[in-house]
Amino acid sequence: MTAIDISGVTKRYGDELALEELDLTVQEGEVYGFLGPNGAGKSTTINLLLDFIRPTAGEVTVFGRDAEDGSLEIRERTGILPEGIELYDRLTGRQHVEFAIESKDADDDADELLERVGIADAADKKAGGYSKGMAQRLTLATALVGEPDLLILDEPSTGLDPNGAREMREIIREENRRGATVFFSSHVLGQVEAICDRVGILRDGELIAEDTIAGLEDAVPNRTRLRVRLDRIPEDSAAALSAVESIDGVSEVETEGTTVVVAVADGAKTTVLRTIEEHGVTVEDFETDESSLEDLFVAYTADEREVAP
Amino acid sequence: MSAIAVAKKDFRDAVRSRTLLALTALFGLFTVGGAYLASWAAEALEGGAETTLDLIIALQTPAGYLVPIIALVVSYAAIAGERENGSLKFLLGLPHSRRDVVVGKILGRTGVVGVSILVGFAVGLIGLFAFVGSVSLVDYLGFTLVTLLFGLVYVCIGIGLSSLTRSTTKAAIGAFGLLVFFWFAWSILVQLLLYAVEGQLLMEEFPDWYVTLLSLSPDAAYGSALGAVLGESGLAMSGMYGGDELPLAARPWFGFVVLGVWALVPLALGVLRFESIDL
Repeated sequence: MTAIDISGVTKRYGDELALEELDLTVQEGEVYGFLGPNGAGKSTTINLLLDFIRPTAGEVTVFGRDAEDGSLEIRERTGILPEGIELYDRLTGRQHVEFAIESKDADDDADELLERVGIADAADKKAGGYSKGMAQRLTLATALVGEPDLLILDEPSTGLDPNGAREMREIIREENRRGATVFFSSHVLGQVEAICDRVGILRDGELIAEDTIAGLEDAVPNRTRLRVRLDRIPEDSAAALSAVESIDGVSEVETEGTTVVVAVADGAKTTVLRTIEEHGVTVEDFETDESSLEDLFVAYTADEREVAP
Repeated sequence: MSAIAVAKKDFRDAVRSRTLLALTALFGLFTVGGAYLASWAAEALEGGAETTLDLIIALQTPAGYLVPIIALVVSYAAIAGERENGSLKFLLGLPHSRRDVVVGKILGRTGVVGVSILVGFAVGLIGLFAFVGSVSLVDYLGFTLVTLLFGLVYVCIGIGLSSLTRSTTKAAIGAFGLLVFFWFAWSILVQLLLYAVEGQLLMEEFPDWYVTLLSLSPDAAYGSALGAVLGESGLAMSGMYGGDELPLAARPWFGFVVLGVWALVPLALGVLRFESIDL
């Protein structure tokens, strides 16, 4: 079953094009990471799902219901963590959660939810006095009300310290195990890598890649870095360098004292090591950094060059 | 019932506002002042004053000015403010329709204004007992109920304006522009029109259309409705402009119709507009 289906959606604000012909599908039970730099159109997409805004063209459905006509039914089954909002300064944390419980006609226990997101001790404090991270946790608590079938989280780790971000991921995992579909946006890759089944990368209002993490990594070649530590610097280091550079599959060579860092295609690693040893030095140690998602992300979003998904 | 949940939340939030506290205190001060004036007037008229007239002197003026101010201050930012700071996305992320949000806001903020009116009138009642000595409680209750309705009307106007814009500054300018319009510009414009049509401003009997136009502002309607409830025709346009055959709009009971229109039209416009916009 399809949880989210966005097809051919364009959103224009006056002359400004926020989304162009976006197609995106999220299956039920999936954790979908929606990646992209700030301003790429992630929040616009989320706003469309929640009927906060309406598309200029195209169709948005959630659980098979039109996002505008079926918005109430959709929101009854959805928990939402919008980005960068203020809460009601004069209401306490517990009052916020109780309001969400009443609104959703759910029977959750407000204190249990506050405990789960780690702010039980601030339940009776007014939200006006909350830090950014606490407000984010409180909003998450309200999103969890009523065991939603879909969680939509816009930059959920905003304002959280690394520990808080880890707890957030843990809750997302728990919710997904319970059966919830999770759709969350982030411009931070570390958030996505660990928990997403699939990732879509948005740039300038267009989905430029969509795949599993592994699939995306395969699509970007030449990203392995081989770090080789030598016992000493070779006597004719310039010749050694140019020999390594000329190996088929090597795209970049750098040296840091007795360490050589080589960007190399997977098949050429042993050739690199052999060539280095041919120059009269011993390889004491070597390691490879697999292409990190960060590199991948940069490759997809920062380059002018388009990478085919 | 979604609107009720919104109203309850909204009431809890807005009733804690310090501005409201200050305005309510000011209102209480004015009603007590009004009660004092009423006792002074009763003495000056050498016992000729009726209790109902005392009541009118004591309360209509402070209520007529302060209730619209309180209602607009309480309501102008109700929706625009939430759009501005994003909390509307929290509210509408929950399963509430946009219409429920508007209706809930009106109920919640009317509750807040109601508390303010009740506090002010309770203080005024104490003042009346202290300075005047006797008050007809039935009349007082009627006065209070019509004033609550008057507050509701201005809350509808304020919320209607608030749902049209994302900027609280614009909503505030709109709200207070409207107040100035009702209080001053309305009658000036109608008088200019009279001069344009009739060539003079003072007449033995004013034309029906003139009396009708003057009766159509919410503030005039408040006076008419009070006149209908208290049986004091002096409050309504009918009393001021005499005439044997009053135009429909100037009859005291018609004040309720005018108030109803002033509540429903901004509400309907607000809902229609709010349902169609991007947040």
